[in-house]
Amino acid sequence: MLQAGDWAFVLDNFDYLLTGAAVTVGLTLTSLLLGFLLGFPAGAVEVYGEGIAQRIVSVSGVVLRGTPIVVIMLVLFFVVSISKSAFVTATVGLGLRSAAYQSQIFRGALQSVDEGQMEAARAVGMSRFEAIRHVVVPQALRRSMPGFQNEFTIVLKDTSIAFAIGLAELLTRGYDLFTQSGRSTAVLEVFVAISAVYFVLTFGTNRALDRLSEYYAIPSGESS
Amino acid sequence: MSAEEPSVADEVRTTVTVDTDRPWALAGLVAFWGWLLLRWTNDFLLPDGLAFPSDQSFVPAAPFATAAESLGATAASLGVAGAPLDVVAGLLGFVAGAIPSLPSLARGAWLTIVLTVAGIAFGFVLAVPLSVARVYGGRGLRWLSLSYTELIRGTPLLAQLFVLYFGLPLTQIIREVPGVGVGFVPATAVWVAIIGFTLNSAAYQAEYIRSALESVDAGQLTAARSIGLSKVDGIRYVVLPQGLRYAIPGWSNELVYLIKYSSLAAFITVRELFFQAESIANDTFRYTELFVLAALFYLALVVSASLLMNLVEDRTAIPGIGGKRQA
Amino acid sequence: MTLLRVEDVHKSYGDEEVLKGVSFEMDRGDVDVLMGPSGSGKSTMLRCINRLTEIDSGGIWLDGTPVYDPETDVNELRQDVGMVFQDFNLFAHLTALENITLGLKRVLGVPEAEATERAADHLAQVGLAAQADSYPAELSGGQQQRVGIARALAMEPKLMLFDEPTSALDPELVGEVVEVMRDLAERGMTMLVVSHEMGFARSAADDIHFLDSGRIVESGPPEQLFQRPEHDRTSEFLTGLQSNGH
Repeated sequence: MLQAGDWAFVLDNFDYLLTGAAVTVGLTLTSLLLGFLLGFPAGAVEVYGEGIAQRIVSVSGVVLRGTPIVVIMLVLFFVVSISKSAFVTATVGLGLRSAAYQSQIFRGALQSVDEGQMEAARAVGMSRFEAIRHVVVPQALRRSMPGFQNEFTIVLKDTSIAFAIGLAELLTRGYDLFTQSGRSTAVLEVFVAISAVYFVLTFGTNRALDRLSEYYAIPSGESS
Repeated sequence: MSAEEPSVADEVRTTVTVDTDRPWALAGLVAFWGWLLLRWTNDFLLPDGLAFPSDQSFVPAAPFATAAESLGATAASLGVAGAPLDVVAGLLGFVAGAIPSLPSLARGAWLTIVLTVAGIAFGFVLAVPLSVARVYGGRGLRWLSLSYTELIRGTPLLAQLFVLYFGLPLTQIIREVPGVGVGFVPATAVWVAIIGFTLNSAAYQAEYIRSALESVDAGQLTAARSIGLSKVDGIRYVVLPQGLRYAIPGWSNELVYLIKYSSLAAFITVRELFFQAESIANDTFRYTELFVLAALFYLALVVSASLLMNLVEDRTAIPGIGGKRQA
Repeated sequence: MTLLRVEDVHKSYGDEEVLKGVSFEMDRGDVDVLMGPSGSGKSTMLRCINRLTEIDSGGIWLDGTPVYDPETDVNELRQDVGMVFQDFNLFAHLTALENITLGLKRVLGVPEAEATERAADHLAQVGLAAQADSYPAELSGGQQQRVGIARALAMEPKLMLFDEPTSALDPELVGEVVEVMRDLAERGMTMLVVSHEMGFARSAADDIHFLDSGRIVESGPPEQLFQRPEHDRTSEFLTGLQSNGH
């Protein structure tokens, strides 16, 4: 099945695939950033908010978490038509969905901070907002690290689903390569190659984030 | 190469919850399932003579379309004051546009469920030995199991499906198997998708079960050994029954995950829910109706699944284990 | 008649030698208590007898059978040696009754109905007939430990090992467990007990072995060891125990 000629074909198109990998990484970063910017306040609203704001956040969260990402992307592309750019559409789709998950990571982390911390902060004269801002949030952020790490991997892998809206990221480029006429024999080689790139990316970022969370961990099991 | 999956992250995927005390949500689900079951019975089980035509909706779309049209006209004549009426007209128009596609979506939903259930069930069969090997196996077995889970979890599901469908001669082999695609036996692509979801889900389930096994107190196996059970029997009768209960929240995650990601089977030509929605949308240009409908279908399936898993968790809970976990 | 013979047992964890040549013997029906400061090797000694821990050198014989012979089936050996743990280790997913039937059914191959009957008898003997269907999480520590004893007894062992059976219990629950153990001793069970429970040792023990840093420093009947300890280490330790309210 694996043939030298097909490997040569993969090597010839290495730059083409590498550009795809760059798009994949770029999309991952923009999506996570959008997810963070929306998800962090959303998580806080779910914990500390009340009334209609909290309702809206939690219902949109359920919708975003309960719908396949491919459907979300196509809705954004064909129904809402937020942008002609597949990259922008994919960023918004993955970003919104990631926000829905990141809000849960924050929510859990905020809730896991001991209530005594809030009381102690209030006791030294901080306002509720100051206590959240200076005492609860810094601890919650550290506790969110493992969740983020998980989210990072998920978003990275799900960038491949932008295939559905024709974004020329890594997987799409792999698909385009072997569907060229006369190149269908190279399909396995192409996918082994791009899978390897994905693996290196997920594995590498995971180990890097492990290091990072060790570095920022507070002694005495704060990160566990 | 440690793959400690953070417990916080495991929690995250379970949070597609619905308040069961909201009667409208429950009523909607009951109506959805009632209609689905009726549709499947009609389309799959009743002989042609007795059945309602399988490509025709139970409810005609025309009245909705007419109502939408006349309401829209009235709304327009009222000017600004007609805005609420216009919204109702829009909704009716949506219903009219959605109705003709319902039979196809019901058929797609059937395949979505088949893919999900088969993936999680076969995946479980692989996941138990994988996780037991990870926790109790020797060096070689541990390494093998770890490599498998890391490799699967480190690459996109869509890439895995492409490898199986385009890269390996699986399709040729399955196509030769007698009976494939006949009657209730799914077609070739469905089998490839099931294999893909099985292999993928096994890796994730193995991680859930592994961390659940590790949360079973080591003293449990010691006690089992002390009354004369062999290691295998101790794992089988003492550790697994407890560990699998701890793994239930993980399964809720996995079930929800598979329902949503089974949509990727569309890219290897499986005519599941998303495939049906997209192909009708492409034919009719009714993107809004079809994709919103698809989203609603998935949402209904996902919410049903998490309700079901909550029920399973409550049923299997015993004091001290499962349900609301103590300690 | 000798039931248990322990001869020159050595055991190390890495660089640390935990047992430095321990020897003693027990006759059938004997009740012996192992005492000594923490880290002296008591629990390790106990676990070497049913091979939950493996010895480095020396030998152990149970009823004439060499425990460490390659021919000896460790699972069969363990049926003859009941063990009661400090933290109970009841099977958390099984009721009190099922905790006992599991071994009967899966190890001894007793049919379901008979296993249930026998298990119920054993529960009654430890005074827990009414708790048969309770899960461990629903039982007090003292009740859990009594189920633990019943579970071990159900296998009809020749020897019972108790690894600090009362030290995880609240003080007011110690009595009920000690009573069950004393009752067991009176009925002639051979028991090797790691415990600092002076009351039990004084009233039920035939011999007390005092262990210190991996060696038996002194052995003898309770009155001798408690009244006229020969070794300074023994008297120091016993004084400490008594002043701690034991």
